[in-house]
Amino acid sequence: MAPILEIKGLSKQFGGLRAVSDFDLTLEEGDLAGLIGPNGAGKTTVFNLITGVYRVSGGDIRFQGQSILGYEPHEITRRGIARTFQNIRPFPTLTVLDNVRIACHVHDGYSTFEAITRSGQFSRREREMTERARELLDVFHLLGRQYEVAKNLPYGEQRRMEICRALAARPKLLLLDEPAAGMNPSEVGALMDLIHFVRERFKLTILLIEHQMRVVMGICEHITVMDFGQVIARGKPQEIQNNPQVIEAYLGRGAAARTAP
Amino acid sequence: MKKLPLWALFAIALAVGVLIQVVIQLGFVNAYLALVLSYMCIMILSSLGLSIIYGFTGQFSLGHAAFMGLGAYCAAILTHYVGSESGTVAPWAFFLALVAGGAFAAVVGYLIGLPILRLRSDYLGIATLGFGIIVRVVLENSDKVIPITSGARGMTGIRSPDFIFLWAFVTLLLGILVARNLRFSSPGRACLSIREDETAANLMGIDVTRYKTIAFVLGCAYAGVAGALYAHTYVFLHPMSFDFIKSFDPLLIVVLGGLGSLSGTIVAGAGWVAILEGLRMLLSGDLAQYLEWRYVIYPVVLIIMMILRPQGIFGTHEFRILEPEEAEEKPVSAGRVEANGAHT
Repeated sequence: MAPILEIKGLSKQFGGLRAVSDFDLTLEEGDLAGLIGPNGAGKTTVFNLITGVYRVSGGDIRFQGQSILGYEPHEITRRGIARTFQNIRPFPTLTVLDNVRIACHVHDGYSTFEAITRSGQFSRREREMTERARELLDVFHLLGRQYEVAKNLPYGEQRRMEICRALAARPKLLLLDEPAAGMNPSEVGALMDLIHFVRERFKLTILLIEHQMRVVMGICEHITVMDFGQVIARGKPQEIQNNPQVIEAYLGRGAAARTAP
Repeated sequence: MKKLPLWALFAIALAVGVLIQVVIQLGFVNAYLALVLSYMCIMILSSLGLSIIYGFTGQFSLGHAAFMGLGAYCAAILTHYVGSESGTVAPWAFFLALVAGGAFAAVVGYLIGLPILRLRSDYLGIATLGFGIIVRVVLENSDKVIPITSGARGMTGIRSPDFIFLWAFVTLLLGILVARNLRFSSPGRACLSIREDETAANLMGIDVTRYKTIAFVLGCAYAGVAGALYAHTYVFLHPMSFDFIKSFDPLLIVVLGGLGSLSGTIVAGAGWVAILEGLRMLLSGDLAQYLEWRYVIYPVVLIIMMILRPQGIFGTHEFRILEPEEAEEKPVSAGRVEANGAHT
């Protein structure tokens, strides 16, 4: 079977700056993979290229065997890739329930005409959408917050709501951009459980960017390390931990020399 | 207390509208006040259109009066040729004129939207402003092509249908219903998400271009219908009535009422007309020399309002009666993760 995501020779140029160059990544269905690297390595740029926010300068991205180059972000989401954001981006003045229901629209929506005339699939779809959103919110312990305005939620809950919202779009591949950022240790523990749980429950493939080594080493099955827009290492967590190039990228040359075997 | 169903509210509102029309017919209300009441409906309707464009979807448009003008002229030209034989406009012809006015504004809105709706915020504002000026110039010179509009001298000889207030009122009720149905629906939420964060909305699967266009076209249709009503209420049209400056009126109403709140737009629209026309009545007789001070008083009201309540009268809230009942909650608890530790 073809891999769910296959990135080959991906590059992105911003004027004279090569943000990503010759990036390869292959994900099999059900993988839980990590993408790490120092600040500015190009991790989020890769996410933006996969989801169609940026135009690709070179290379190819194949999702379920088909190239998704040139598609609008919403078309890529429709095909089954959803994501969260490094700096959270909820719809701040809308309720938590509406935040999640908005992402349901892509697959479970109905036409504007049906909405205005309250006809056709309106009632059934609206009811299903609301039920589905509430089920998701329940999984994420946010059901009690459904009528609250998103911006009033504590930071950690807004992050969880974002994952919840991404799942509402029925993705097959979920991209998490620093899901544990700004969380305290106990929240991080819960988050790791949550990520495992949603992968099983929704049959997902997950790719995550993360700085907290505890998360990356704890849940990722394999890891790709980037520095200056290029892949410098890939492998299982233990292999990565002892890779001198990775240590050098993170801590500098001297540190790598000291820890070298 | 059980909430009154929406249809009951509309039935009551309709009855009130009929009653006001009866009172007008019986001559208890002077012609001027009757005109003001119709104008109130027209202004609210037009503002609801902008509420959909700007309040819901966050597209800053300064061309709203232009679309109202297009609808007004289109409808007036239509009734000039059909349905005005008896001295008043026949109901079927007026209905046709309302539809034509709305449709014409919507079509022009769609065509102009294709290139400019990709612009964001301020840039869109400038582009729509430019469009507004173009429309005024076109209307001023329209007599070269359609002599009956009389160009810059203004179009006269428009007939009015019977019961114009009731027409305006019923159209407004319909307008409220449509906007409310859109607001509380999935496509409506798609529009709101664009206002909140366009990039995030796109990444959550919302076809941003599509919903921007739908909102813009629908809002323009409201302006067009409002224009058609305006033409047949005042029976005189002048290009300056639809100058870009006039686009600020609905804009102020939408912002004053609270961006994104239909109830706010309705209340602010009614209040805005009431204040302007109320001051006109108040500043009559000996005070008539101060009449122009109206345009000082209401901006002051506006400034005070923005200082005391920048989110507008209603914020983002609605009258409870306009809100739909949320579906009953079903108890769900199938396999959730425990907050700390292992999952069940």
